[in-house]
Amino acid sequence: MDSSVPAIELRGITKSYGSVVACDAVDLAVHQGEIHGLLGENGAGKSTLMKVLLGLVQRDAGTILHHADPVEIDSPQAAVALGLGMVHQHFSLIEPLRVWENVILGDSGRIDRIAACTQVEEVGRRYGLPIDPMARVDQLSAGERQRVELVKCLRRDPSVLILDEPTSVLTQAESIELFSVLRRVVQQENRAVILISHKLAEITAATDHVTVLRKGAVAFHSRTAETTPQELARQMVGRDVSLRAEAAALGVLPVERTSITPAAGIDAGVPAGPAALSFHSLSVQVGGVAVLDELSLDVRAGEIVGLYGVEGNGQSTLGDVLSGLIVPTSGTIELGGVAVDASGPGALQRAGLGIVPEDRHRSGVVLDMSVAENLTCKALDDISARGFLSRRKMYAIARRLTAEFNIIAPSLDAPVRSLSGGNQQRLVVARELSANPTVLVAAQPTHGLDVGAIEDMYLRLRKVASSGVAVLLISTELEEVMALCSRIAVISSGRITGVLSTGEATAERLGMLVGGIAA
Amino acid sequence: MSAERTGVSLVRRTMLGLQPSRSGWQIAGMSAVAVVIVGALSTLLISSTGSSPTAALHALYTGSIASQAAWTTTLLYAAPLLIVAAGSCISSRSGAFNIGQEGQVLIGALAVAAVTLKLQLAGWALLVIGICVAALAGGFWAWLSSLMYRISGVNIVVSTLLMTFVAQQLISYAVNTSWFLQEPSVAGIAPLPESKQIATGSQLRSFGSYPNLQLSVGLILALALTVAVAVTMTRTRWGFRLKMVGLNPLTARHAGVRVAALGGLALAISGAFAGIAGAVLLTSPVGNFRLQPGVSSNIGWDGLLVALVARNRPIVAVPFALLFGILRSGGNFLSSTGVPPFLVDVVKGLLVLAFVAPPALADILKRRAATRRASASGRHAPALQGAAA
Repeated sequence: MDSSVPAIELRGITKSYGSVVACDAVDLAVHQGEIHGLLGENGAGKSTLMKVLLGLVQRDAGTILHHADPVEIDSPQAAVALGLGMVHQHFSLIEPLRVWENVILGDSGRIDRIAACTQVEEVGRRYGLPIDPMARVDQLSAGERQRVELVKCLRRDPSVLILDEPTSVLTQAESIELFSVLRRVVQQENRAVILISHKLAEITAATDHVTVLRKGAVAFHSRTAETTPQELARQMVGRDVSLRAEAAALGVLPVERTSITPAAGIDAGVPAGPAALSFHSLSVQVGGVAVLDELSLDVRAGEIVGLYGVEGNGQSTLGDVLSGLIVPTSGTIELGGVAVDASGPGALQRAGLGIVPEDRHRSGVVLDMSVAENLTCKALDDISARGFLSRRKMYAIARRLTAEFNIIAPSLDAPVRSLSGGNQQRLVVARELSANPTVLVAAQPTHGLDVGAIEDMYLRLRKVASSGVAVLLISTELEEVMALCSRIAVISSGRITGVLSTGEATAERLGMLVGGIAA
Repeated sequence: MSAERTGVSLVRRTMLGLQPSRSGWQIAGMSAVAVVIVGALSTLLISSTGSSPTAALHALYTGSIASQAAWTTTLLYAAPLLIVAAGSCISSRSGAFNIGQEGQVLIGALAVAAVTLKLQLAGWALLVIGICVAALAGGFWAWLSSLMYRISGVNIVVSTLLMTFVAQQLISYAVNTSWFLQEPSVAGIAPLPESKQIATGSQLRSFGSYPNLQLSVGLILALALTVAVAVTMTRTRWGFRLKMVGLNPLTARHAGVRVAALGGLALAISGAFAGIAGAVLLTSPVGNFRLQPGVSSNIGWDGLLVALVARNRPIVAVPFALLFGILRSGGNFLSSTGVPPFLVDVVKGLLVLAFVAPPALADILKRRAATRRASASGRHAPALQGAAA
């Protein structure tokens, strides 16, 4: 194989957004005939790097070499002209259209259905991606849709094929099939493949080279055969050193777990007593794929348990289940030892569960209703008598909560839309806590917040836990769970792959669990 | 001072559902300009058909508000329009867009005609029962659409619209079927496709007598229902939940609201209001007291427009229902002077645009300003997105 000159080479690519450095002098060389794994957590800079490569984002510095020739990729068209093709994690297919229509989308010239169908079938045969060109995309499974995306990409005869988290929606069998197709693509046709993933097993099984990105920089590079999953896990997550420094910078130095004062005893180790919140074999099936797969977890009163994992492993589904938006396919949710029927709207909330949802605009607030209305919308009994609302009571509660939780709003009548993200988040927390819950679930509570608001949120969560509330923190930020939690449960592909106490949690073990390998 | 201001804003909020805002003034200004443009266009149109615009305006005035008798007719039209509009406010608030009021009005008229012609009871009791049955029938008709949505996901806008045509066929059947509601034929004359007149005792009462102003009970009912809707929407738990469902069904469900059931109920209530409007129309002079295929005379459509122009605020719908009533009674008089009657419809359509376009335009301007602000004030938002993956 011609491995002396890389098919595509990135040198010193730097890209920053404001003060955030997404890519910091990243080097990446991908040769023809190899599958190159790109490994990293959320926010490690994988997607930004690929956006630079595809001309979606302009780099600040660095060069791109195509077969050793420096090239400018300033638009997606330029990337296509160089033979770069990408299959995105979230499919870009038009569901009501047929397969062949989706495949030729973006072409110019006359539409020739017969020719397009023949081509789809021909490409499908060549790569072992059988697909009926006349099928409507909305009737296809996730695996079949992926096939359509691949066919769409491969028919343009790309020299470099990029796949972003291709197996996140696939079943095990579909994943294995995908990798055998990729192997054929590189071996028989001498193309190059970049495989973006956070799943260690995938990377070790399917790639030839691997590059690990961490915090926007290349942390590690090796031939896949010469490394181990353990090494990769440590490189992907390994930032024990920075952990405490960062937390200190935020003003939320982790509680020293070695010197537990009696007052703080409740959030140490595994407290005794019955679970305030427990899941038993909770499963949610979407289109035949288990998004949550027999998930079981206990959270006791007064402790903060972190549910840590890379995005897209079932966390948002769990959040929707706990918000009462999705009814689990099977399994039970218990609050204080009593099973709650989660199918009725608001049932979990009535049973004492408060939740700060991951996407507050989607299911946390009503953006076009006022601050006062949003603060009281789950406590209508408290602000009404015989069916009529009392504005006086509504404003009294709203005034108390805005003061207590330091929510800054133009007025109580202002729509929540006009508030900053941090204040919207405080509003949600204030409303959830005002119901005196026994369990608080916080899903990505600091997403999109500035440092001050993050600090505020951390203090609030600690205070809540120390008042005896069981807190489940669903997070993709390692610092966050390490700084706040006494136990960390790791979720991967909808299952808990392990529960570690913070003391046991090393980067390597967490990385293995995140990658779906029991450690 | 501040107490007074709070008082004023409280009145505004509870009575109108209006939030005083900068964009409110902007909209008012744009609407005024739009109405002036509509006036100019209408003048042009009328002169182009060879009539005199001033004479037309005078005819419009004479037919609608010049005399007490004209006012009587105007108000007789305004009442059912207002009832339809008030009902539309409820379904729109829940996020379901019912556009089948015309059919629901027809069903209401059919129901009241059937009750008053078929049952043997004292006149007033027949009327009360008739209106109640009309409400139930109209509500049922609209609820069928919500059922179709729940069972097989049929779009509510489409199904309510199409059910209107079913209702028209049903009326046509009723007045062409001798055992049902068709008027018994007099010997030798072919029977007409219409029902008997309902008995005087079952007709809606009016206060006052010709040629003085007559206030129909229908108008009082319309105003009472409108106030009830306004209070329900702004002052009750149910109204609060309805608003949540309309603005963010997911958050509503999260807060314990049975979203589908509430949405279905809101649709049924709007249908019930249209049914009541049909009953009020049929039992008042402008409905000829009998069931005829064209008895609804577009009251359903116009009532929907009233709600649209009032942007689903029931109290704001009152003046607009009156305006549409004026255009109706004045328009009828106008066409008797030789101006093509469709011109009135054109003017009505232009007026609706004049009131509906400015808020939409204001929204677009606002959104554009927001986008500009976002792109100017920093590339932070996309940065987070870019770095997140």
